[in-house]
Amino acid sequence: MSATPGEANPVRAFVAQLWGSVFRHGLPTNDKVAARTALTNFFLHIHPVRVKKSAVRVSYTLCLGGLSFFLFILLTITGLFLMFYYIPSVDSAYQNVKDLQFVAVFGDIIRNMHRWAAHAMVITVWLHMARVFYQGAYKPPREFNWVIGTFLLLITLLLSFSGYLLPWDQLAIWAITVGTNMAKYAPIVGPYTRYLLLGGDQVAQGALIRFYVLHVIALPLIGFLLMVVHFWRVRKDGFTGGL
Amino acid sequence: MATVVEGGRDQRGSVTPRPQAPISGPELANTPLVIRRREDEETVVTFPYLVWREFLAGLAAFVFLMLVSIQVNAPLLQKANVSITPNPAKAPWYFVGLQELLERFPPIMAGVAFPSFVIIFMILTPYLDRNPSRRPQDRRVAIVLFTVFVCLSVAFVVIGEFFRGEAFNWDWTLILGHPGLSSPV
Repeated sequence: MSATPGEANPVRAFVAQLWGSVFRHGLPTNDKVAARTALTNFFLHIHPVRVKKSAVRVSYTLCLGGLSFFLFILLTITGLFLMFYYIPSVDSAYQNVKDLQFVAVFGDIIRNMHRWAAHAMVITVWLHMARVFYQGAYKPPREFNWVIGTFLLLITLLLSFSGYLLPWDQLAIWAITVGTNMAKYAPIVGPYTRYLLLGGDQVAQGALIRFYVLHVIALPLIGFLLMVVHFWRVRKDGFTGGL
Repeated sequence: MATVVEGGRDQRGSVTPRPQAPISGPELANTPLVIRRREDEETVVTFPYLVWREFLAGLAAFVFLMLVSIQVNAPLLQKANVSITPNPAKAPWYFVGLQELLERFPPIMAGVAFPSFVIIFMILTPYLDRNPSRRPQDRRVAIVLFTVFVCLSVAFVVIGEFFRGEAFNWDWTLILGHPGLSSPV
């Protein structure tokens, strides 16, 4: 759908030009147009133009990888909203979260969604791993994508763990105390790792700001980079499809 | 495979088989000797076929999470206080399995050896598994081992989360309720 030179109505011609400048092709009325649309659209380009039908059957993928990515996006968006209210200080963090829950318009829904989506993502990423294992989809030539996936699972757990502290309530501080105490048991490096993670000997302001920075910037960036490579390799290493 | 209109779609969606021109002569010599099943050749355009399904899956997940978020509030207890230790103090649920292991094994085993072993073994899985077949009947050992791992992981999380009460001691009352009361407390 591009501006037709012969168009008599100037308004219609302008609208056609506007549309054509944004979307290079019209609605996918047939495979050729659909293929061209996928090729020229940045966001659709995450997929190949054509794919084996058996590789994308819902009963085969169970949508688990896609759902994990969707939850990551949902968590990024809801997390962004939460950041407008949240100040990572031991004096204000708890009150900020209380305000989100009881004062800010839709604050409770956004916070609830962030929390439940985070739990859901841990589950979907885990199930995605199990699905890939049971179908042997990690076998050559996809070995390295499995390795990237393992790191993505660890990043997901660390993202959830670092977010756990931020509400600064009794649940948060003690879960992180118990969790980081486990790090102490590693020989030699254990106590140092714990000190590095907490920025001190106990869970206090130092730990809150470290976990906050890890949670909102460092881990999402690393996770995003790994995801980009993961998706790229799904395309480049080829699809498995039905057993 | 339904009948296909040239350059178009069949009635089940946008499905077109790859053209299968007969191969002969020098071309044949360079063709890898791979016998593909007919259904492997069946491809679809990802847009809109796959994108539409992804949209529906995302929408369903969003609606589900929205309903849960309207109904169930995220937990928020009293403000953090280092001088009041809750009993029991539990790690987040996905690490509670690790906490349960610490209850049963020496810390160096449960806190260091087991997790490191699992992570390293997981990373090396594709390089250790030399069996080229993906068919379940050819990979019984791999499937049994992985299933044992999954069952143990889930069991330890469930035990740590639902069967551990005060001081992380075994406690039936978390799920069965206190004796003499009609409903779980």
